[in-house]
Amino acid sequence: MLRPLSWHRSIARAFGRPAALLRRHLGLVFVGMFFVPVHAAVSLWMPRLLGDALDHLQAGGPVEVLERTCWLLLVLALLESGSRYVSRKTLIDASRLVERQLKQDLVAHLQRLPIAWFDRSRSGDLHSRLTQDVELVRFVMGPLLLHGGSTLCLLPAGGWLMASMDVPVTLAAVAVFGVLFAGMRVLMPRLHRWSKKSQEAIGEISQRAQEDFAGIRVVQQFGIVDRERAAMATRNRRYLLANLRLVRLRSLLHAMSHSTSGVVMLGVLLVGGHQVVDGALTVGQLFQFTGYLALLTLPLEILGWTLATMPRAYAAGIRIEELFEVAPEPGSGDAPPLSGGLRVQGLSFTYPGGDRPALRDVSFALAPGQKLGLAGPVGSGKSTLLALLMRFYDPPRGTVFVDGHDVLDLRPSALRALFALAPQEPFLFSDTVAANVGFAGAEPAVGLDAAVAAAALDQDLPQFRDGLQTIVGERGVTLSGGQRQRVSLARALLSERPGLLLDDTLSAVDPLTERRILGGLERQRRGRTLLVASHRLSVLADADQILVLDQGRVVEQGDHRRLMALGGLYAQAFRRQHEAAALESLPEAGS
Amino acid sequence: MTDPYQDDAIEGRIQFGFLARLWPFVRPYRRGFAGCLGLLAASFVLELLGPWLLRHAIDGPMRAPDADRGDRLRELAWYGAGFLAVTVGGALLGYAYGLLTAWNGQRVIRDVRRHLFDHLLGVGLSFHERNPAGKLTTRVTSDVENLNELIATGVLQSVFDLLKIGGVLVVLFFLDLPLALFTVATTPVVIAISVLFRRNAQRAYRAVRGRLALQNAYTTELIGGVRTTRAYGKETAVLQRYAERNQATTAAWLDTVLHFSVFFSLVDLALRATTIGLLWFGGTAVLAGTLQPGQFVQFWLYYALLTAPVRELGEKYNVLQAAFASAERVFHLLDAPRFPPPDGRRRPSPRRGAARVEFDRVGFAYDPATPVLHEVSFQAEPGQTIAIVGPTGAGKTTLLALLARLRDVTAGAVRLDGDDVRELDLASLRARIAFVAQDLFLFTGTVLDNVRLFDPTIDEARVWTALETVGAADFVRRLPQGLRAPVEERGSTFSQGERQLLAFARALVTEPDVLVLDEATASIDSESEARLQQALRVALRGRTALVVAHRLSTVRDADRILVMEQGRIVESGSHTELVARRGAYARMLAKAAADA
Repeated sequence: MLRPLSWHRSIARAFGRPAALLRRHLGLVFVGMFFVPVHAAVSLWMPRLLGDALDHLQAGGPVEVLERTCWLLLVLALLESGSRYVSRKTLIDASRLVERQLKQDLVAHLQRLPIAWFDRSRSGDLHSRLTQDVELVRFVMGPLLLHGGSTLCLLPAGGWLMASMDVPVTLAAVAVFGVLFAGMRVLMPRLHRWSKKSQEAIGEISQRAQEDFAGIRVVQQFGIVDRERAAMATRNRRYLLANLRLVRLRSLLHAMSHSTSGVVMLGVLLVGGHQVVDGALTVGQLFQFTGYLALLTLPLEILGWTLATMPRAYAAGIRIEELFEVAPEPGSGDAPPLSGGLRVQGLSFTYPGGDRPALRDVSFALAPGQKLGLAGPVGSGKSTLLALLMRFYDPPRGTVFVDGHDVLDLRPSALRALFALAPQEPFLFSDTVAANVGFAGAEPAVGLDAAVAAAALDQDLPQFRDGLQTIVGERGVTLSGGQRQRVSLARALLSERPGLLLDDTLSAVDPLTERRILGGLERQRRGRTLLVASHRLSVLADADQILVLDQGRVVEQGDHRRLMALGGLYAQAFRRQHEAAALESLPEAGS
Repeated sequence: MTDPYQDDAIEGRIQFGFLARLWPFVRPYRRGFAGCLGLLAASFVLELLGPWLLRHAIDGPMRAPDADRGDRLRELAWYGAGFLAVTVGGALLGYAYGLLTAWNGQRVIRDVRRHLFDHLLGVGLSFHERNPAGKLTTRVTSDVENLNELIATGVLQSVFDLLKIGGVLVVLFFLDLPLALFTVATTPVVIAISVLFRRNAQRAYRAVRGRLALQNAYTTELIGGVRTTRAYGKETAVLQRYAERNQATTAAWLDTVLHFSVFFSLVDLALRATTIGLLWFGGTAVLAGTLQPGQFVQFWLYYALLTAPVRELGEKYNVLQAAFASAERVFHLLDAPRFPPPDGRRRPSPRRGAARVEFDRVGFAYDPATPVLHEVSFQAEPGQTIAIVGPTGAGKTTLLALLARLRDVTAGAVRLDGDDVRELDLASLRARIAFVAQDLFLFTGTVLDNVRLFDPTIDEARVWTALETVGAADFVRRLPQGLRAPVEERGSTFSQGERQLLAFARALVTEPDVLVLDEATASIDSESEARLQQALRVALRGRTALVVAHRLSTVRDADRILVMEQGRIVESGSHTELVARRGAYARMLAKAAADA
């Protein structure tokens, strides 16, 4: 058990921030909360009026009384609807405004968190905190005030009114409702658990189907359709069972609440009817009593619902606060003018939480305007080296220097303004091609066409429906891998940074186009520093210096000629690739 | 270029034709559904009984001062017991109905899903190239799920609601004519208000859904694109764009709050006004002595039975609309033809060791205007290796797809042991052919699953033998869980070389008669390169093979080399023959030898 103080503190941790945001809309909250009891009072008045009217009818009184009652009821109905409208509109609006600000603050905070933190987090989890969790917290900031406030008014007042009419029947009703309530408390968690199971089961179906469709060549070629069918049948069965279980629980809940109202009505008829027979209670009063009962069922349901939601909302509040508690990356540091001279000295680096170093004792120096080639198998550390230059991660002090400054002393934004990075798997926003190319610059982008041409993207434009204004779809799904890479390259070129980091940028582009692009780049380099990591060694051949990495270590270092003479890893791979390229080419006769 | 997500925009007209198409799936469970309707009807009768009992309790024992007190109480107890029986019976019927609809409805859904999934595995490659996997997955999961609404809401509930509204109206007319007329006159007004506001509210909701989807999509983007944003220092710009979307969503939300508050308030007000009207007309009738108070209460309670279906009318219409839209999308997919078309007349193709493969004047075109293959003819005798070389786009990969009928020739014929592959039983044909693609597709599961492709009849010993043969056993043994090591996210944890080795093992574990192979371009990974070469040699031994070659060693060892260009074979022969000819192949070799 938590001690009261820490309990109080953790509630403050979960809801303190949204509550502070709600305080900005105090006016809305005040108006809304004023009308909640008004609505409750009017609702509770009506059964009394109806009961009196019924007695009046039975007694056969004058028609004027009936007329007056009807008019009064109409006024009350208007008041009921009006007060409901005002409190709903103000309180729910306030909660939506809190939601908006909370999301905005969260996203602003995310923009400042270190990349290493993003590596450790799953994007699906982050997304659900930004959407579902915020929604759950919003529930506390609005709907809870509205429904909870209304329940707080109706339950005691209604209970008191009922008890003032007939204590035994009220107690009986309370007891039966108590049983129902307890039953709900038992069934709700199960309902929750099975609905989660059902979701997991459909998730499995979805994942398997997605893979089978994506790998349809393998599925068809190896004739494993029957096996996939069987695998799917198992998943379908699991889903079916979970769903049936879920329906059973739901139907049970429903049947319970339904028969409870029957039991309560039986009590009312027996005990209340008894009194009617004895003349202690009129039929109208009996009717009035059942009116209260009907009014109280909904708040009771809401109470159950709230009790089920509160722990989840609390957990959501904590998860959101956890994000705010992550320390952002430093925004300070020197920002001297930089030209891009690089010195890396004895650099070893292990990813936060990693068990093996990604780089071991790497050293090299590169003057501004030079070209460095990085070769090596997948996972040898090429991308890590480039990411460290962008300071996506912090290298150890005294290992990476730009123009003589340790990168740890530079402001991250100043360092990043020095290099443009085009990764192997580029990220495209679901916007136009032009907007993606011009992402780095101001609008309108100057030199857009030149950058598009330099990345050989112009040859694809006729294929795009609206040319540069074509929307690329989520993450650029409507483009081929090679097209995405070239958009990313054009983006890097347009950013006009003094240094260009190409991390296997053109791996999905055919070799001929790649050579054309890099040839053009070389001609228009104008003193840019160039760091190129590639599996196609032919594009590294003209580099001033080539590092061959293997498991984080530099195993060969030098220019192309030197490495070929060495006859090692680089030379062997270069010959193999040359061979393959020759078999894929069809040289003109006589060439 | 057609938008692959175009049919997501289907609005969902209520088309009863889809119900007819759903019928074959519903048919096996028709008795169950008939039972559901029976339960609904029974619960309707019980619902009518409750107010009737109450009326007689009020008009009988409660208002008979002359009768004996004990008799009155006993009678009251009977009515109470009756009322209890009615409600508990109603609850039980409701419970049974819930279970029975789910039991049958969920099975229908399962059958549709199974059928659709099956169908999608059987349609051709060109269909899959046009339809992204994500979209098809949505169809198989959520769209099929929506069909349930078509049955539950669409047929059962609608029939029941109509029955209920009609039944209650009839009862009301029997109870009291003037009051019934009043009800009939006012109900359409209430329905109109309900439908009108529901429609407005729904429009506002649709706006929320649209904008929220945009905002959530952008949330995903800004998380996924965080490196890009950071690299170019565009944090503020991204934040600004997020703010715009956030603002738009909130504005739409506030709009729905407006509509919903108005909607709820007005519909409730209208219903209240009608009941007050009932009180007035009924009350004057009671005072005039033309109506018993109990009858009036009964009428009142019956009227209350009407309010729920009337209130939910708009809601149900929307659910139905969505369900019909899903039905349209699902049946649209089921209309896609299977490839190859199912056909019962085909001969089996028994395994008989290395096969003879013949391409006879084969042509292929995705689009008749631009043929990809043209008059391609060659033969591979049992055990021979055919190497194919040529530039990208020459049709090499397409040619490989024709043998196992991933695609069908548009001219000429492909023959296996003299039989046209189109006349052979598909399963036995494909069982004889194994395929290694350049980039291997790994499924989520284990290494074992991926080598034997989920086939439990292949035991682990055979899997190990295959891994041993291709030289992949060492690296699998080094994995923490060996054969049971998990494969995630399409095998991203394995290097390209390792994935290639697994692909070879997968191909060899079934002991195929023919091997079709798209040789991977060499990466720098020297260790796996040596292994791959070795694996290739073992794989080709004693098998007929078609290889798109990227290594000189593969080409040199081949029995015949095809040089392709623009869908045609421009040269063919053995290495020695082609070198002697001094044609395209010889020039390739010269280029390979130059400056390396």
